[in-house]
Amino acid sequence: MSNGVNDVNTKPLNECYAEILSDYLEHGNETALASGYEAARRALLDGCGVIELAVIHHEALRRLNAKQQLTNELLEKAGDFFSECLSPFEMSHRGAQEGTRALRHLNEVLEAELKRIAHALHDEAGQLLASVHIAIAEVVENLPPHTRDRFDGIERLLRQIEFELRGLSHELRPTVLDNLGLLPALEFLAEKVAKRTGISVSVEGKTQQRLPPAVETALYRIVQEALNNVAKHARAASVKIRLASAAQKVTCTVQDDGIGFVPQGEPGSEGLGLMGIRERLSALEGTLRVDTKPGHGTVIVAEIPLKGG
Amino acid sequence: MSKIKVEACVSVASDTDIVNARRQGRALADHIGFSSSEATLIATAISELARNIVHYARDGEILVGMVNGDSCPGISITARDSGPGIPELKRVMLEGFSTSGGMGLGLPGVRRIMDEFNIESQVGKGTTVTAIKWKR
Repeated sequence: MSNGVNDVNTKPLNECYAEILSDYLEHGNETALASGYEAARRALLDGCGVIELAVIHHEALRRLNAKQQLTNELLEKAGDFFSECLSPFEMSHRGAQEGTRALRHLNEVLEAELKRIAHALHDEAGQLLASVHIAIAEVVENLPPHTRDRFDGIERLLRQIEFELRGLSHELRPTVLDNLGLLPALEFLAEKVAKRTGISVSVEGKTQQRLPPAVETALYRIVQEALNNVAKHARAASVKIRLASAAQKVTCTVQDDGIGFVPQGEPGSEGLGLMGIRERLSALEGTLRVDTKPGHGTVIVAEIPLKGG
Repeated sequence: MSKIKVEACVSVASDTDIVNARRQGRALADHIGFSSSEATLIATAISELARNIVHYARDGEILVGMVNGDSCPGISITARDSGPGIPELKRVMLEGFSTSGGMGLGLPGVRRIMDEFNIESQVGKGTTVTAIKWKR
C-alpha cells in the first residue's frame, strides 16, 4: 500500500511514479490517483516536461510488464492513471494558451494606439503647422521688406518641426505598412536605417499578396528591433533582410556580418530586444532561431504559420 | 448560478480528505455521465480547491452537487472555508501572482478546466469557490 501523498516529496520522480502506478494497478484506488496527480503536479513545478513524464510512464510500465505480463484491462487502467498525471500539464497548457491570446490582444491594442498617435501627429499636427505657415506668410506680406528676414528663421524652425513630427509619426506607425504592405515598408525602413547608421541594408523578397495585418505588423516590428540590435551592438557593415512567404508560413531572415555574440542557453536569459521579438512571435505561434557566434555575424530567422493557407 | 442539489459534503483537513472528496466527485461525475477525461478534470479541480483549503485555511469542506443547466446537467464543486480569506482576489486570479509560479495551476487553473467559476472571499471570514462543469 502506498503511504499516500507524503512520499511524493522525497523520492526521485521515476521511482515514486512506478510505485504509485503499481499501487494503482493492484488496488485501483483513488488514493493512488491523487498521489499520481500530486507527483506530476510537483514534477511540473520542478520543470519536468510532458515528454519526460511520458518516458517515465513508459519505463515504469515496461518494468511492471517484465515482472508480470499485464492484461489488457491493466494496460487500460495504466492509461487512466497516466491521464490523471497529465492533468496538471493540461491545466498549465490551457493557461499558456490563454496567455498567448492575451499577449496577442495586447499587441493589437498597442498597435492601434500607436496608429492613432501617429495619425494625430502626421495629419492633425501637420495641418495645424500648414495653417501657421500660411498665417505667417500673410503677416510677412504686410511687413516692410527689411523686417521680413526675421521670419525666415521662424519658417526654418517650423519646417524642422514638421520634419521631426513626420519622422516620429513614421517610426510609430509607418503609413506605408498599412497602405502598401510589408515589403515596401521594410524597404523604406532599410533605407532610413542605412541613412542613419551608415550600414548597408538590403531587402530581398517577393510578396504575391498582403499578409494578415497582425503578421505584417509583427514582422515589421521584429525587423525594426533586429536592426536596432545590429546598429547598437553588432558593428556590422551590412545587413540582409529576406522575406519569403509560402502557403503555410512566412519566414523573415535578418543576417548581419557583425561581431556576433555568445548565444545564451535559455531563451529568457537573453537581451530585451530578442526577448521582445520572441514575445511578438509567440503571440502568433511563431518561432525564432538565432544563429551566431563571436566573429561570425548573426542570423535571426523568424517564422510565423499562416492559418488557413 | 442555477440551483445546486448537494449530493455529498466532505470535511477537508488532510490529504486523506482530499482523496475522499475526489472519490465523491468522480462517482458523481460517472453517475451524471461525464467521460473519464472530463472526470479527471473534475477530480483535478477538487484537488486544487481542496489543497488550497488545507494549505491556507487548514480546514473547510467540499460540496459536490448536481446542477441543471438550460439544456444539460452539470456537476458543481463548492469549496468553502472560514480561513483568512484572500486579500487581493483580483491579483490571485491573475497569472504571475499565483503560488504555482505562473504555471497555470491553482485557482486560475480551476477556472480554465471548469465551465463556470465563482469566488467570494472576505478577509478574516473565509472563502467560497463554486465551479461547474456542464455535461454537453
